[in-house]
This record gives sequence, C-alpha cells and structure tokens, in this order.
Amino acid sequence: MNTDVIPVSILTGFLGSGKTTMLRHLLGQPEFARTAVIINEFGEIGLDHELIEASEDSLIELQTGCLCCKIRTDLAQTLSDLLRRRDEDRCALFDRIVIETSGLADPAPILQTLMTDTTIAGRLVLGGVVTTVDAVNGAATLEHEGISQKQVAVADRIVLTKLDLAGLAKSVLLRRLEEFNAGAPVLAANHGRIDSRLVFSSGLYDPQTKSTDVNAWLAEEAHGHARARHDADIKAYAIVRQEPIQAIALTLFLEALAEHCGDDILRLKGIVNILESPNRPAVIHGVQHVFHPPAWLDRWPSDDRRSRIVFITRRVSQGWVEVLLEAIGEEVADLPVYR
Amino acid sequence: MSWAPNDLARELLAQSLIAWRVAGSVERASDGALVIGGIRKDIRIDRAQPHLMFRWMVTVDGRKRGAVSLVAVLRQVREALDPGYAANRVRIAVAPLVPSQ
Repeated sequence: MNTDVIPVSILTGFLGSGKTTMLRHLLGQPEFARTAVIINEFGEIGLDHELIEASEDSLIELQTGCLCCKIRTDLAQTLSDLLRRRDEDRCALFDRIVIETSGLADPAPILQTLMTDTTIAGRLVLGGVVTTVDAVNGAATLEHEGISQKQVAVADRIVLTKLDLAGLAKSVLLRRLEEFNAGAPVLAANHGRIDSRLVFSSGLYDPQTKSTDVNAWLAEEAHGHARARHDADIKAYAIVRQEPIQAIALTLFLEALAEHCGDDILRLKGIVNILESPNRPAVIHGVQHVFHPPAWLDRWPSDDRRSRIVFITRRVSQGWVEVLLEAIGEEVADLPVYR
Repeated sequence: MSWAPNDLARELLAQSLIAWRVAGSVERASDGALVIGGIRKDIRIDRAQPHLMFRWMVTVDGRKRGAVSLVAVLRQVREALDPGYAANRVRIAVAPLVPSQ
C-alpha cells in the first residue's frame, strides 16, 4: 500500500476562462502523467469531462452541483474513495490530484474541505490554488463578479489565457491583477499550453522533491509588502514578527480572528516561530473561519526565522490584526509560566 | 503588566471599534479604567482584583462580568454593542500546541 502524502491542487477561474483547455494540455505532459483529476460541473449536462483525455479510472466527474455550495461532503467522499482505490491498487498510481472547479465556484469552501475532513486530512495536502483569467474579458469580469475577485485573490498562481486576442486589454488586466493579488506570479498559457512545473509548483508541498517550500508558498507578500487592492474591501498584507510567539498566544490569536472576522479572512497562510518549539516552525493555514491544525516542519527552511503570516482579507485592517497579535502576546507573556 | 489597562489594550479596543464599524471612542477614566464613549451603552473595562480568577472586569450598563483574557473582553464588548452578533466559538479538535518530539 502506498501511503505518501498527496498534494491536491485546485484549478479555478471564472466561466470561460480556459480551465478545461489548459487542463487538457497539462494532462498530455509527461510530468502530469500520474495525476488524478476531479472535475466539478455545474448543471444538468456536464461537458468538460468529455474534453479531457485521461485514463478513466483517474478521472472523476462531480455533477451534482457546484462544489462550493452543495457537495462538500461529496468531494470528501470522492477523495476518500480515490485514496482507497489507490491504496488497494485498483487504479493507476497517481501522486497528484487536481480539482477543476466550476466557473462559478467559490474556492474557499473547497479549501476548507481539504483542511478539515477527518477522512482525508493527513493523506492529502493543499498543493496550491491556480486561477485562470481570460485576458480579453478578465478585467470586466473582475469589475462585476465578486466570485471572480475571490478566485483571483486566493490564487497561488494566476494563468492568463486568450492572450493572442487581448491586445491593449492585457495591460489593463495586469494592473487589476496586481491590485487584487500582487503576491501570485502571473503566467501565460498559449492556447492552453503551459509548463505544468510552473503551474503546479505553487503549493507548500512539492511532489517532485517530496519536500516543503514555504518561501515559495508564502510568495512575495510574506516579505512585508502590504498591497492595497483595487477593491478597497479586499486587502493583502503580511504580519512579520522577529520575536517568537507563544503557542497559546497563536491559538488565541487565530480564535479571535475566526470569531470576529469569520468569512472576511479570505485566506491566511504563514510560518510561525513558536517559542516552545524553536527548531520546528509551525505552518498555519486558514480559509475564512476554518483553520487547519498547524503542520510542524522538521526544520527551518532558511536562516530567516521570523514569523511571517500572509493575510488576504475583506474589510479587515492590518492595524487591527497587528494590535490584536501584539496585545494577546503581551497578555500571555504576563502569565506566571512565561515570566 | 501595570494595574490599569495599558495603552495596548486601549489601542486594541479602539481598533476593534473601527473593525466592527462602531462609531465610538475609547477614553481613559481618571482611575485608569477604559471607557467606551459615543455609544448608547455604558461600557467600562477594568483590570480585575488580584484575588479574582479573572484578569479583566467588563461593566455594561452597570452589570459587571469577569473576563479571563483580552479575547474574552473583546467578545463581551462586541456582544454588548451588537445584540445580533453570534460569535463563532465552536472548537472541537484537541490538537497539540507544540509538536510531539
């Protein structure tokens, strides 16, 4: 039985943004051969799965509704079944899973399912969020579709499609993407063709090296560059701390965020220097009010031992987050056990 | 930590009002307590007496309740300001705070 940790990447993007076309080309690349694909289609008649050429036993279509709102349990069950078939050698051996969402899906609940379902947690790790954006219509879609904004805001990689048709629209779109998510590298797909290594190397866990790459995962914003986004409601920023954080302070901090911000924490990810665990940093990850239990790295990935937490939020100010962490840390430090 | 609520606690409350979109202000009373003004309730935050199990006392319209932490203070203040506020306080999993060696 093969019980490796398997990364799950989420391929999202608004309707018509080229997700399926890109996935079809990716599946033709040797690096992508050992990939199981789950396609979520919205509507009575699914077509996307017809456009994907993959071995039948590693392609699953979820047709009962939109992943984000109806079938989270279906997704967990599907993943669980897929793992069982793999463990029992009843399907082609895969070492990566890609979930293609419907164009109208909010990726946040899907991320939450991956983080919280007990039947799959421990076997699967988030491999990153890849968002396709149509270079022709993308700027207008971002202007009018809240779901599109969210799909871009939570992305680890953004892939532009239909660039050959975009003309001047490309520069406008790039500015908008910079405003919504400056931390995510923007790649280009040529009629769906793109190097899979560029697209799906965005997660915390790299299946090629079987190691974690926290710095790549946290991306640019973790290095202290706060970004104001075009939509004044959505902001990305990083909290950086030189001093270690007490374990209980981190717990209280995350609980307070979940309690008071709830759905307005679109995404949170970070590496934290825990006072009680100086040599093994904690990797934290949250989507809206759901936080994954910390994962403990075996060692620091670099000499940089600062705590760095990236926030993508809606109407949650950096000032409040900063003072919340500082005040909790000071209060905890005043406890007899820490004095 | 000094006896009266410190400036960081005051700053946290002030920033929290902004975050919650409550038009109020946090002032310091002559005895050092923090008082939230500009709202329809009287809210006052004191440090609890040392012999009590609480660290803070939150008084809302004369009713005094203990709070074990600043996080609990925030919860009580927000509940007082927003009766419809339903805190997300479900916590199910018990996970180690530090890694097992």
